[in-house]
Amino acid sequence: MMELFFKPKSVAIVGASGSPGKLGYVIVNNIANSDFAGQVYPVNPKSDEILGYKVYKSITEIPGEVDLVITALPTPKMTVATVEECAKKGVKAIIIESAGFAEMGGDGKVYQQQIVDIAKKNNIRVMGPNCSGIVSRGIVTSIYPMTKKVPQGNVVLIGQSGLLAAGMASDIVENESLNISKVCSIGNKCDVNENDLLEYFGDEDGVDVISMYLETITDGRNLTRIAKKVAAKKPVIFLSGGRTEAGAKAAMSHTGSIASNAKIVDAAVKQTGMIMADDFTELKDFAKVFSTQPLPKGNRVAVITLAGSVGVNVSDLCASHGLELPKLTPETTEKLKDMFDTPVSNPIDLYFSVTKIGFTKTLETTFPEAFRDANIDAAVLILAGFEYTQEAVQKKIIQKIVQEVGKPLVVCMIVGYNKYKHVIMDEMGKDLPVFPSLISGVKALSKLCEYGIRRQKLSR
Amino acid sequence: MTTAEILSRARQEKRKVLTEIEAKQILGEAGITCTSTVLAASKEKAVSVSEELGYPVVLKVSSVDITHKSDSGGVKVNLKNRAEVEAAYDTIMTSCRAYAPGAYIEGVSVQPMARPGTEIIVGMIRDKSFGPVLMFGLGGVFVEVLKDVAFRIVPLEESDAADMIDEIQGKKLLEGYRGKEPADKKRLQKMLVQLSDFVNTTPGIEEIDMNPVFAYSDGAMVVDARIILSEE
Repeated sequence: MMELFFKPKSVAIVGASGSPGKLGYVIVNNIANSDFAGQVYPVNPKSDEILGYKVYKSITEIPGEVDLVITALPTPKMTVATVEECAKKGVKAIIIESAGFAEMGGDGKVYQQQIVDIAKKNNIRVMGPNCSGIVSRGIVTSIYPMTKKVPQGNVVLIGQSGLLAAGMASDIVENESLNISKVCSIGNKCDVNENDLLEYFGDEDGVDVISMYLETITDGRNLTRIAKKVAAKKPVIFLSGGRTEAGAKAAMSHTGSIASNAKIVDAAVKQTGMIMADDFTELKDFAKVFSTQPLPKGNRVAVITLAGSVGVNVSDLCASHGLELPKLTPETTEKLKDMFDTPVSNPIDLYFSVTKIGFTKTLETTFPEAFRDANIDAAVLILAGFEYTQEAVQKKIIQKIVQEVGKPLVVCMIVGYNKYKHVIMDEMGKDLPVFPSLISGVKALSKLCEYGIRRQKLSR
Repeated sequence: MTTAEILSRARQEKRKVLTEIEAKQILGEAGITCTSTVLAASKEKAVSVSEELGYPVVLKVSSVDITHKSDSGGVKVNLKNRAEVEAAYDTIMTSCRAYAPGAYIEGVSVQPMARPGTEIIVGMIRDKSFGPVLMFGLGGVFVEVLKDVAFRIVPLEESDAADMIDEIQGKKLLEGYRGKEPADKKRLQKMLVQLSDFVNTTPGIEEIDMNPVFAYSDGAMVVDARIILSEE
């Protein structure tokens, strides 16, 4: 059933418009610019042609079968009438983008219930209302204009808020900052909810990472069951908004007075093995780390730096995020003895090596030697924005080493943002997780290690 | 009485709160060890039950109308002989009648004084979205002031129960801190899984407190329990 949303063979847009700028136009235009190869049927009683597509007066007038209907209509009443018409036509999947339903209370709630009733009776699945649907290479139903092709990546984003999900999708596509495959916004979730999507993407090949933002949890019991199953196979990054610390007011037990929504959500995250993000940036950043880096076998980290003081700060951060900084093996220490003025320790200060053989050469030889060490599961590389950093970045040396060593790495940028942000953050950030602060990089790596260790345990 | 009978009787009587004796009977049926607790409707019965169970004993008021047994002066502990039991019975009745004049008091519950162990709280609450959720923590000040507890969503697996016990800040106290008896973690895990299985298969229960549970090096025992039923 969910296939109809993501891989429809034909799509109708009710409320399609020929005036650029109108939502009904943006949607048709986004579909036209996507790789969608099926039938496109704009529906509008007052137009004949939109963007080269023949326009139909109503759903029932469309000659062929319609797999998916998208509605962007001005009133809830018109939307209900359209859903009724979809039932007559035998449509089984509808995305309702318009707002003005349960989120408004009052009549909006009543209209939404009418939609739910019609859908149930006729076995129709409804996404929304008050959502922006789907952004993918195959089809874009969003009301945000897309400026580039959506990548065919391995990350899926599920969001509740339509505008936010669509906006994030647009940014990600424009900046190529994350290798996404789909962004879905489920709005009021009158029918299709996070559990449907989590289960669907959990089973979908090619989706390696799922990032999810929810304002409300529709069915936590089912979410726990599904997330546990899915998170055992692929990382599920989870941001939950609107958590409250207040215990149940009417509780008559001690337990009830302590239990809060926030504590229960936290428990569900721990129990299922999902990865908790604390804000939207983390939702995206963690997805970047998980989708580009292999899973570590443990939490033993090498901190690689050119400045002792930075190394000290990162060591502290690692300690507070549950990461260990082990010593390198005697073999590696021996091998690297000429590159350090004192025997190599962790944090690994490359300064001496750089003065001896230069920065690029140090990154090519000293760094991978330490990274490959048997005591090391993952690394944090701290890069400063200097002239000499550029060459290494342009030659993609770090990317090559990560590939060759096969262990995860996060890069943290420190100083030099004015001149080199574009080179380090944006350019290298397309391939590797690059963070603008030490704490964000360390935190993301700690999540990767935590999940890696959990997966190790599960596979035993 | 079986669990089903206790629940249906409470429903008939339009009660949401079960008595301690009912709660322990239900938990016992679910496989969870509780202190033996017997209802005594008279002073004479309280004495005979005490002699049967063996001194020292604890007397607690048994009334569906009095939910705060300690506040009402309805709990007397460490009663070592017949005279103490008789005196405690009278005191409980007097102070509870004064505390809650209209309350129906069916008598007192008599239970042997449990050997002190590490104090634990285990509980359950039904969340609208997540369904039944279990709580585990150290009892007394740890739960009251520090709220050092862990939650998990039902149904729990063994490993979830182990994680819960491992998650609390004060977990060292379960390992025999300063020469104290260590707690039987395996048994606590089993208790959590048994409670999870029970609430997972028994609808209509809204909240449970097993507080305190005494944990020993070779087992664990529920000393007091409370069960609240859901609105119908």
